[in-house]
Amino acid sequence: MARLAMLIDESQCTACRGCQVACKQWNDREGWLYSRTRNWGSYENPPDLSPQTWTRIKFTEYEGPDGFHWLFLKEGCMHCGNPACVAVCPTGALKQQSNGLVTLEPELCNGCGYCTQFCPFHIPRLETDVLTGQGKSSKCTFCQDRVTNGLLPACVKTCPAKALDFGDREEMVAKGLARVEALKARGFTQANLYGLNEVGGLGRLYVLVAPPEAYGLPANPQYPALASFWQKIVQPLGSVAFGATIVGILGAFLITRRNIRMEEVR
Amino acid sequence: MTVQLRGRAEAITIQWIPKYTLLERVGHWLHTASFVPLAITGMVLYFPFLQPLAQGAAGEFFRLVHRAAAVIFGVLPVIYFIFQPRRFIMNIREFLPSKEDIGWLRGAPAYYLFGRHEAMPPQGRFNAGEKLNGLVMIIAWVIFGITGLLMWFGKGIASPELFRWAVLLHDLAMIASVCMFLVHLYLAVAHPLMWAALVSMRFGVTSAEYAAEHHAKWYYGPKRAMEIYEARKREAARSGH
Repeated sequence: MARLAMLIDESQCTACRGCQVACKQWNDREGWLYSRTRNWGSYENPPDLSPQTWTRIKFTEYEGPDGFHWLFLKEGCMHCGNPACVAVCPTGALKQQSNGLVTLEPELCNGCGYCTQFCPFHIPRLETDVLTGQGKSSKCTFCQDRVTNGLLPACVKTCPAKALDFGDREEMVAKGLARVEALKARGFTQANLYGLNEVGGLGRLYVLVAPPEAYGLPANPQYPALASFWQKIVQPLGSVAFGATIVGILGAFLITRRNIRMEEVR
Repeated sequence: MTVQLRGRAEAITIQWIPKYTLLERVGHWLHTASFVPLAITGMVLYFPFLQPLAQGAAGEFFRLVHRAAAVIFGVLPVIYFIFQPRRFIMNIREFLPSKEDIGWLRGAPAYYLFGRHEAMPPQGRFNAGEKLNGLVMIIAWVIFGITGLLMWFGKGIASPELFRWAVLLHDLAMIASVCMFLVHLYLAVAHPLMWAALVSMRFGVTSAEYAAEHHAKWYYGPKRAMEIYEARKREAARSGH
């Protein structure tokens, strides 16, 4: 199946946050559980992603070459082409579907939180009891239920500024690149497409009007090296060590049994 | 303490000398009783083939057991240190490696596999193998403690990079200590030369004769132990072994 992707044109976003509301409405997320709305000196609200907030608009005050800008970034799961969260998940709750969606099955999750710590973008969030560790991880699934039934993700469907698009990834990449060229022609010299090749190519492509760092995006996100080392080298080596120890003990037991008798021991 | 055992052939007299305190023995068994469930519940997240046990409610249960056992595992040495600090420090000192451990390594195959006592130079209260076991467990305890607390309470406080290192080091400590535990279990339970180990860990005493034979440096003192060992070697050489 062709890989699907979301194209987010941040030059079009007006920060109306309709996507946040639609996301909560469709995915049954609470509005207030982690942060009550309060005036904290910014239009940005809520202040961070949470188990109940899978997407939100991040506001950045940016002093660019052509003066002051407000940069808006629709945060959420990147649906990486090479997702570290899926690799480290010990339960199989996180999966990469054949259409590229990185999905999370809450019934399988045991709340270990590895995904929250190995994600290069710090996206999955844990709803957990700190003492007992009981809880669930959660994140944006690109509205898997809607998408597999031929509908658009809730946020894309609702976006009044037409900043969001969703479909075949190659088509989205082509649209994004064309949009970047158009923006450059109109004087947005720093326009760029983020997510083309990062971490196996992201399923969430951003058309940005300033460098990624200005939005708070990692300029060069990497699949965590320690995850590869841990899973591809240390874990298999551990199994080999257990096997060798058990074989060694059995061998020693057999040799010892032939040579030493209990009665002879003082 | 002297106990007379009457077997079929003859009566043997065993003289017992103290080796472990009550707290040490209870601590040892509580350590075992927490280590084994910790290893089992931890491996649920470690081995991919155990994935069904890690899922959903089962996984949450195992993670809860892991934390409960971790509290016991972590607190035991602290209790030991508080109530018997001299014994605690003495034992740790005895676990420290020394030059003579190379002699143990050289003699170990002949001693453990073929029962050749003369191959083994005199050992202290703990022989080099027991010292290795003790050291691995102590280092693993420290690593488990630091990385475990970091994974338990550090999410969102410590940096993700630190958490990743913690997961890796926790696994490495687990691999080393579980391998060590398996060898320790085999030697204590199934090795014919080590029969006194379980006795002393249950009752706190060891046979004087056993101590003289297997822990001569402890029983006689280092100088006398070496004299006896050398004399025995000369004896063996003269009789043509």
